[in-house]
Formats: sequence, structure tokens, C-alpha cells
Amino acid sequence: MSNDRIWMLLTRKLSGEATQTELEELYAILAVHPEQLHSIEEITQLWNQVTPQDTDFMEATFLAHVERMKSRGIILNTDEPVLDENEIEKVKSISAWKKFRIGIFATLAIIIIFAGWSLLHSKNITDTQSIATKTKEVKTLNGTRTKIILPDGSHVWLNAGSKLNYQKKFDSNVREVFLSGEAYFDVVHNAKKPFIIHTATINIKVLGTQFNVKAYDDDKITETSLIKGSVEISLKKNASKKYILKPNQKLVLLNEILLDGDMKVKSTHKDSGDIAMYAPQIKELTYLKNDNNTNVESSWTRNILSFEDEPFYEVAKKLERWYDVSIIFENKRWEHQYMSGAFENENLAQAMNALKFTTGFNYKQEGNTIIIY
Amino acid sequence: MRDNNNSNINRKINELKYQISRYEDQTAYKSLFFILFPSLQNFIFTILKSRVWAEEIASDLMMDVWIKRERLQDIENLKLYLFVSARHAALARLKQENKIDVFSLDEVEVEFISDYINPAQASECTELEYKIAKTVKGLPPACQLIYKLAKEDRLKYKEIAEILHLSVKTIDNQLAIALKRIAEVIGTHKKIFP
Repeated sequence: MSNDRIWMLLTRKLSGEATQTELEELYAILAVHPEQLHSIEEITQLWNQVTPQDTDFMEATFLAHVERMKSRGIILNTDEPVLDENEIEKVKSISAWKKFRIGIFATLAIIIIFAGWSLLHSKNITDTQSIATKTKEVKTLNGTRTKIILPDGSHVWLNAGSKLNYQKKFDSNVREVFLSGEAYFDVVHNAKKPFIIHTATINIKVLGTQFNVKAYDDDKITETSLIKGSVEISLKKNASKKYILKPNQKLVLLNEILLDGDMKVKSTHKDSGDIAMYAPQIKELTYLKNDNNTNVESSWTRNILSFEDEPFYEVAKKLERWYDVSIIFENKRWEHQYMSGAFENENLAQAMNALKFTTGFNYKQEGNTIIIY
Repeated sequence: MRDNNNSNINRKINELKYQISRYEDQTAYKSLFFILFPSLQNFIFTILKSRVWAEEIASDLMMDVWIKRERLQDIENLKLYLFVSARHAALARLKQENKIDVFSLDEVEVEFISDYINPAQASECTELEYKIAKTVKGLPPACQLIYKLAKEDRLKYKEIAEILHLSVKTIDNQLAIALKRIAEVIGTHKKIFP
């Protein structure tokens, strides 16, 4: 059948395997089937696309490789100044480390238990300065999302309007990252090097697992949702307070309490819908009603914007970040309208019209601003 | 155009190989690492499904290139040699861990280098590109792997056949299947968004 033959010939052409006769055959078929030209152009473009390389990531990978060689006694003098710097740091932090050890032995014991300590891997613990100069920051604007691969091979999906800082090399005894915004983590298991995520209000410690963290600075709550494995969450303000999650659970914390540490906010807070959330809450993940495999918490990593029974003011935040617009409620009554929805390929107008249709509000768009009335 | 690209890469690898074996050129070694390591790591991952092992074994293989640098010129096709070694090393690890040393092409887990989108380019990914990526992910694992080795790692049919212990005919057929599916997606996409 000539229709299948086209694709075989095209693949041979693209891979540089086609003979002259086969090329002529392909052109002959195309002359009869010009409707396939568009697909062929697209595929050719796709095939010839050069995959961009993340140079920073490759540099880090190469450096790790050189270190491994060194540990086997094979010395490679690369032109990387980072290596020498590293040597100096090692010496510096070892002496700092010794003082530390003599000083507070008890604390050390706790740290050993806490982090699965190994003396060999302890070089950077007191050296905060070196951490500062060797971190990398990835930022997403509203309307964009991205995927990052960390030096240890862990994958991170970064949602819109978020920021992740991490060390270029995870060479201390813990793997630490700093998050503001929302990210989904698929952490490579390494019991010797716990993975710690710092947000403005909490620390999350894991060994290897999959979970979502939503910690936008301008949100009322910080949410940690566990898909697989286990995580331990401690409050920045009160480190002794720890929460352990099981798969399919999420921890919801109210930021105001965590930041101010002042229970008075309770009385001044007008939003009755949130009263129940003053105490930290462990809840089940929310699955979409018409799709039991998709949960609201992590669907964004599959390019699905979803919400299930959420007030419009929360949904508006998601829409703002997703579509890079700002939403203003001229009629405040809509703010507390609860709604559900899932958008995959819809553009802003399609999404707004669908919500308008099910909810009954009116809206107008002025530039990048949506006004609800 | 692609033909060019393909032989360009191989020429580059040969130049680097010469530099390394003749002059112990460490910059050339680093360039070679940048070209080959991600492909090897990805390929080992498809068999072992562990990023940690994949990185470790790929690193061992690249280390070997440096250790054996004096005899590097004896290896005619370095890329193919490393892919075949990667297969052996992965299977050896499989045997060591699971007491089996076979793997089924129907159960490989294929990762593309292009999955790790550069942050600057992620936002430029068009809807069609997204749909195509999704389609490729929906192909049978063996078909995905063959497509990946041909497109992303720029291996020839004969090389893929040798690495995967398949016939060239199978490679030919599987690639045609992959391309046909992609063409279908492009066709439907065009009907909706002309």
C-alpha cells in the first residue's frame, strides 16, 4: 500500500539510508499525494531539530564524572577553576568542622541521626558562603512551566510564576533546594543524602519519592501533596512540630499563622470559608470527578489546569498564573462562588467562556486584565 | 541536510578520538563526554530504569575511554562500540541485582534527551510539538526506543540492529510505524487548526 510506503521511504531518507532509486520512488508517490506534503515538511523539520543541551547541567555531570575518576586514582586536569576552589573549600571546612566537633558533641549526635551522616561527605555543612556562590536559580514567568533535572537526577516540574534555587552540585551531606511557588518533585532515592525542600514557611525532608509542593508567597496556604513514598514536613517557625504524610494525602497549612506565629489573626480574619483551615490539616488528594486517574494537585505537570470545588478567588489565582493575566472582581459576590473544571488545550477565552457558562458571571477583557462582574 | 548532520557528528567523534589517543587532549575528552554521555545514560536507563545506575555505568564507560586512550584508534566506530558496551554493562548489572540477564524490548522505559527541556525553550513548545511528543510516548516501547536511537542518537539502521539484536528489516518497519503515527497527528492537527 503506497500510503505506508511513503513513511518507510521518508524515514530512510531522513536517516540517510535511502538509495537514489528509493528517493525517486518517494518523489513519485508525493506527486500523486500532494496532501501529504505538509506532514512531510513538519516531520522533516522535527527530525532535523537539534536537541538543545543544558550546558550547566552537563558541566555539573562532567565534574561529577571527573570526581569519580579521581576517586579511582585517575587524575584529569580540566580547565575548570571550580575544581581548585573546591579543594580550598574542603580544607577550610574540615578545620571548621573539627572545631565544631569538639564544641558540641551532643548536637553532632542528633545530626548523625537526622541526616545519616557520613564524615566523608561532611565538607560543606558550615560553609554557607560556598553554597551561595554555587547555586543555580530557575524561574518561570506566569503562563510558562518548565522541567528541570537536578544534579542527582531528580526531576522537578516548575509551575508558572515560581522559582527554584539549588546547588549546582549536591556535594554536601544533604540535597537542598529552595522553592517559592509550585513544583512537582520526583526525587531519586538516596538514603545517605536526604533531599530537603525549603519554602518560606516549611521544610520538607524526603529520601526518594513523588510529591507536589504549592508554596506561592501570595497564597494563603502552603500545600504539600504526596503521590508516592513518604515525606516529613517540619514548620520553619517550630521545627519540633513534624508531620508525616502517607501517599494520597496532603498537608494544608495557613501561611499567616506560620509567618506571624500570632493566633490573633484568627479573629481579624474575615473569610469564614477558611476558618476550618487555621489548624494544620491532613486531607486526601482531590481527584477529578470524571477522571479518577487525575488529581487536582499534580495535573498541571501533564499540562492540565484543574480545580474541583474551589472558590473563584482561588481559581482566579490559578488562571492568572496559567494564562499570565490578572483577574479583578468588580462584583465581589463571585469571589466565593465554588467551581470545578479541567482545561487541557483551551485558550484563555475558551476557558473563561466555559466557566461563565457553568457559573453565570459576566466578564470583559481589557488587555491583560479580566474583569468579572 | 540530515545526512550531513549525521556524518558531521561521526566526523567530529573521530576527530576527538584522534586528539585523545594522540595527544591525551583533555578538552577533546570533555567534548566527547558532552556528545556521548547523555545518549549512553539514556540508553542504559531504558534497560535498568534507574537513573543512579545509568549515570554510574555511563560514567564507567566514559572512564574506560580515557583509560584505553592509547588504543582508541583501534576502535573503528566508537559510538557503536560504546552503545554495545552499554548494553553489556547494563545486562551485567541486571544479572548482579536480579539474577536475570535478559531484558524485554517490550518493557523498556524510554526517556528522550529532549524531555529535559531547556527552561528558556519550554515556553516555546507549540501545541503540535506537545501532541507529537505525546504520540511518541504512546508508541510501543520497542518502537519508541528505535525511534529515539535513530532520531536523537543519530544511529544508522545497521547500528541500531546490532545494539538491539534485531534485524535491519525490523528497524525499517518500526520507524515507518512511528513516522506514520506522527504524520496522522500532524494531519488531524491541520484539519482543526488550518
